Amino acid sequence: MAVTSHKRGAAFGKDTGLQARMLFTMFLLVVLYIVLIGALFAVGASGVTILVVALGLLAVQLFTSDKIAMGTMGVKEVSPAEEPELHGIIERLCVQADLPKPRVCVMEHQMPNAFAMGRSQKSATVCATRGILQLLSPAELEGVLAHELTHVINRDVMVMTLASFFAMVASLIVQFGFLFGGGFGGGYGRGSREAEEAMFVAIAVAAVVYAISFMLLRALSRYREFAADRGSAVLTGRPSALASALLKISGTMERVPGRDLRSVEGMSAFFIVPARAKNSLMNLFADHPPLEQRLAALERLESQLQGTA
Amino acid sequence: MGLLDALTGRHQVKGPAPDRLFAITTAYVTLQSAYEIAPAGVAAIVFQALQTSDFEATIKDMEAVVRATGGESATQVATQDDSYGYRWMVLRNPAGAPSVEDLAVGINAVSSSIETAGHGERLLCSVFAFADAKGHPIYFIYNYKRGFWYPFVPAAGDQQRSTERELQLKAQLSGELPMEPELERWFPLWGIPI
Repeated sequence: MAVTSHKRGAAFGKDTGLQARMLFTMFLLVVLYIVLIGALFAVGASGVTILVVALGLLAVQLFTSDKIAMGTMGVKEVSPAEEPELHGIIERLCVQADLPKPRVCVMEHQMPNAFAMGRSQKSATVCATRGILQLLSPAELEGVLAHELTHVINRDVMVMTLASFFAMVASLIVQFGFLFGGGFGGGYGRGSREAEEAMFVAIAVAAVVYAISFMLLRALSRYREFAADRGSAVLTGRPSALASALLKISGTMERVPGRDLRSVEGMSAFFIVPARAKNSLMNLFADHPPLEQRLAALERLESQLQGTA
Repeated sequence: MGLLDALTGRHQVKGPAPDRLFAITTAYVTLQSAYEIAPAGVAAIVFQALQTSDFEATIKDMEAVVRATGGESATQVATQDDSYGYRWMVLRNPAGAPSVEDLAVGINAVSSSIETAGHGERLLCSVFAFADAKGHPIYFIYNYKRGFWYPFVPAAGDQQRSTERELQLKAQLSGELPMEPELERWFPLWGIPI
């Protein structure tokens, strides 16, 4: 009996285009932020003060955001005995991904969604809503959880927090910059007028940096979503299961009453499908890519898998 | 995973670690002689079955290979899908002649043909079934990604495991079987069909 060889390369090709776009976006952000730092140093001491304050805020954000989110969102950790199927799926995916098991949480909410939190792989938390557990079949749920675990693998919370750090600095300057420059300098004559002018320049630079980085960050966030969809397909070998899950979730999302959606709006960056009734924002500003594009990307992966691409 | 991979969100699923599957073929002698833990004559390999024609063809070939190589010991092969969508290929020795070596060779034939077909990253684990003197099941699970073994002893009750017994087994076999050092990766497999 002869063994027929079915040898092929890896089932999924590379997506160098996506990686190139991601790196280019990050490059633009870095350039932008260097401009901002330059402006801050030009202002002098008060500019550096803002930077230090912002660094403190960053640390607070990195170390407490998941706990705050868990506290305010009604998310609670579940044991394997309470949710055996959810734990089972995550454990197997962790074996596949060679990942330490994250904390597993359930949010008692009918809106179907899932999200990942935590700054590192060791401190990660994966959360699913009650609604998604009821809505999806095991294979679809596996696809969604693999998407969230890919966020953990790619350290997306860390990447996005760091990437948005200087955008936060810029927004601080725009909002409170006048306190440092104009506000304090009342009685110092000519020197303070120069400081005032420098501060106005810095505020103007910060406003521009903030506006551009806002769009770049949204773009980066969308790219990371595509990467997570792709990672999910690679991890489970079932791109179409995730596509089916996205269809099911989005179909339900639009029928969910507006009040429920508003109450969870703040978490939308981490959700698998953003919590909005309708896509009222322009595509450029959306932090999740449109459903059609995600489905198309998954369809390409399925074709690669089936060998028809 | 490097910094660039993290920055670009590029993630590849790991293939199998260097193969330490055959460590079980020496460890079981110790289990049997020193601790009265006998092989149950059943082992299984668990993997994600891709729903593609070439993967199905690979699996059909594998079954034929295992049947052919297991000719002397008459190893039986059966496949089934579990509720998580993973496929179990169960290899069973005929009663009275449990041979861990034959099972390991069969399991290895399956895993290497999946790897040869370019799907090595789909392998989840292998499970070898044993029973202690009182007939309680004891499983040894081999994690392909890590290349490590760990014991899994289900206890009475729904989804309970005897961690004490597992830790004893770890101590008893530490010289023989490359054990998974991180206890949090000793993932249970509930409802093992063997």
